[in-house]
Amino acid sequence: MWNIINFEVFRALKKKSFWIASLSPLLIILVVFGIEYFSIKSATTNAAQQAQAFSQTAKIGEFDDSGLVSKQLLAAQHIIAEPSKEAGIAAVKSGALDAFFYYPNNPGTANIEVYAQDQGISFTPPYNTAAAQLLTQSAISDVSAETKNSQVVQILQKSPAVTATTYKNGVETEGLLSAIAPGIFVIAFFLLFVLLASFMISSTAGEKENRTAEMLLTSIKARTLIAGKIISIFILGLVQLATIAVPLLIVLLSFPKQVGLPAGVTLASIPLHPVAIIFAALFFITGLLLFISLLVGFGAMFPSATEASRFLGIAIISAILPVYSLENIIDSPHTLIVTVFTYFPLTAPLTALLRNAVGSFSTGEALGSLAVIIVSAFVAVWFAVRAFRYGSMEYGRRVGIKELLR
Amino acid sequence: MLTQSSVPVVDIQSFAMRFGPKEVVKDLSFTVNQGEVFGLLGSNGAGKTTTIRTLLSLLEPTSGTLLVNGKRYTPAMAPMVGYLPEERGLYRNEPVLDTMVYFAVMHGLGRNDAKKRVLAYLERVGLGDKAHERLIGLSNGQQQKIQLGVTILHEPSLMILDEPTEALDPVNRDLLMNIINEQRTNGATVILVTHRMEEVEQLCDRIVLLKDGARALYGTIDEVKNKFGTTVIALAYGGALPLNEKLYGVTKQLPHYAELAWHEGVTPDEILRFLAVAPDLHLTTFDVRRPTLNEIFLTLYK
Repeated sequence: MWNIINFEVFRALKKKSFWIASLSPLLIILVVFGIEYFSIKSATTNAAQQAQAFSQTAKIGEFDDSGLVSKQLLAAQHIIAEPSKEAGIAAVKSGALDAFFYYPNNPGTANIEVYAQDQGISFTPPYNTAAAQLLTQSAISDVSAETKNSQVVQILQKSPAVTATTYKNGVETEGLLSAIAPGIFVIAFFLLFVLLASFMISSTAGEKENRTAEMLLTSIKARTLIAGKIISIFILGLVQLATIAVPLLIVLLSFPKQVGLPAGVTLASIPLHPVAIIFAALFFITGLLLFISLLVGFGAMFPSATEASRFLGIAIISAILPVYSLENIIDSPHTLIVTVFTYFPLTAPLTALLRNAVGSFSTGEALGSLAVIIVSAFVAVWFAVRAFRYGSMEYGRRVGIKELLR
Repeated sequence: MLTQSSVPVVDIQSFAMRFGPKEVVKDLSFTVNQGEVFGLLGSNGAGKTTTIRTLLSLLEPTSGTLLVNGKRYTPAMAPMVGYLPEERGLYRNEPVLDTMVYFAVMHGLGRNDAKKRVLAYLERVGLGDKAHERLIGLSNGQQQKIQLGVTILHEPSLMILDEPTEALDPVNRDLLMNIINEQRTNGATVILVTHRMEEVEQLCDRIVLLKDGARALYGTIDEVKNKFGTTVIALAYGGALPLNEKLYGVTKQLPHYAELAWHEGVTPDEILRFLAVAPDLHLTTFDVRRPTLNEIFLTLYK
């Protein structure tokens, strides 16, 4: 078997396409980090510049039916009062005003209306923000005039920060931090599945395309060959994970603020719960074994990797289907859909990994799901061996499931 | 490498194979003895490849026994078998050396030994400079040499060659013939699966000929010819061939070649004397011979 592993691993490592596939997610992640960092910086600068230019140059009018807008604030910002809503709108249309704000008599329930010269599409239209802030600041001024408690004003000016402490069975839990370590297995599973899916198929379809199956099967048992291929794919997956994880870890540790890591989060602060990590590792390994075997089997059934790849979509959709029910998995883990996903072989690995990460799994459920995945994985390995044994010599023809079961 | 034994190297008894409703091989029995070159013959679809695949446990027989050295074949016996399948294939995108070493190790050689043998083989067949090139970059003829190398590198005591000369160029065909002879000299047993009768006549000690999945002929070349064929007189001539209903009948006639079957009680000498004095006939060859395997094959399949 070592001969197979050696051959399969090294021939993949020698291929440019393997390294392109391995490095591309890392490059994408780094590019996204970079874009986000520079976008935030640039957006902040632009907003500040825009606000400054806006207050200095724009001609703005307002009409206040609510009586809540502070006259001092209006005067400070050089905003002039219009005689009526209609007059304000007409002034904008004629070009006499750059913008006109109309405050209805019940701004708590009705919208503030802004009429302005078109300045193109923006995620943060400056006039909208200005109109809303004017009313908010007026309300805060009113409250601060009435109250003697400065905390009230501060609460209104800035959303209060929350520090949550949660308990499970009377013991303090770490909240979101506790999901990081088992959550890494979710990301690793997802990444490896996407990166290696086509490789899984071509590992056996390639033997068929190269017409090597007959020579292999007279020299080695099908199950040894398939085991060798599965182990090779695991090893290549670990190489790919390391290729992505190591540089990413260096970036995260070297530039925590720049990549948006929450303050105070360091490697040492990530809690490591052995049970959750052991379960995550088991779900990860058995889940991958299930999908690798399934796709290796598909590869052996079809005449070429291209034809087998048509079924790749079904496997990928089945594997990632639980992501679409993420909200239920986190908040309502005992709904029917989550239960079905937990015990249905193709959706079980990712559902189990997610539930294990967010802590919505009882030990009994986790063991039940693990049992389903392990049994399914063994069936998939059996299927892969049989598909290769009986399908790999059927050159140019697809072997049916019925034929394999005979 | 070989062990002297009374057990046939290959022993097939009452073998039948059915794919769905179609019976591909029917009640086939034959043995192959140690050190002989054995021909497994038949037209396309006669059941030759199915027989070999079942012998090598790639297929399960519907009934019957197929044994190699007295046992059902398992991959553990790979070091003693060199199999050149009908469907040829190698890893076309991999370097020659890696591919050959991979298969050699799979056939029981150590990695270092395999590497040495591969390099020696490549030198022998004139591909010493191609060891690190990818197979896809090699010509068809060069790839065929690599395929042959993979089959014989581990010096198998039983070689099973399924249509070995199919699509081979003359250079590689000659190389293969030399290799078969070499292996035979070294005591190896060779099973040649083919429908090329001239190769069979040159190489094989015994044959089995399949027709529609059943055994139609079995034995040494001589036995088969004696049993099946009738001796004929082959003539090469110029001019006009005279007819003589008392002496012979013409079984085949071409512009300058004819085959005659003599009647009972007549000897070839009498016919030669008659033809020697025949006007307008210039005889260049008068050969009393048995039919070729090719002729027997054609007759059988008519």
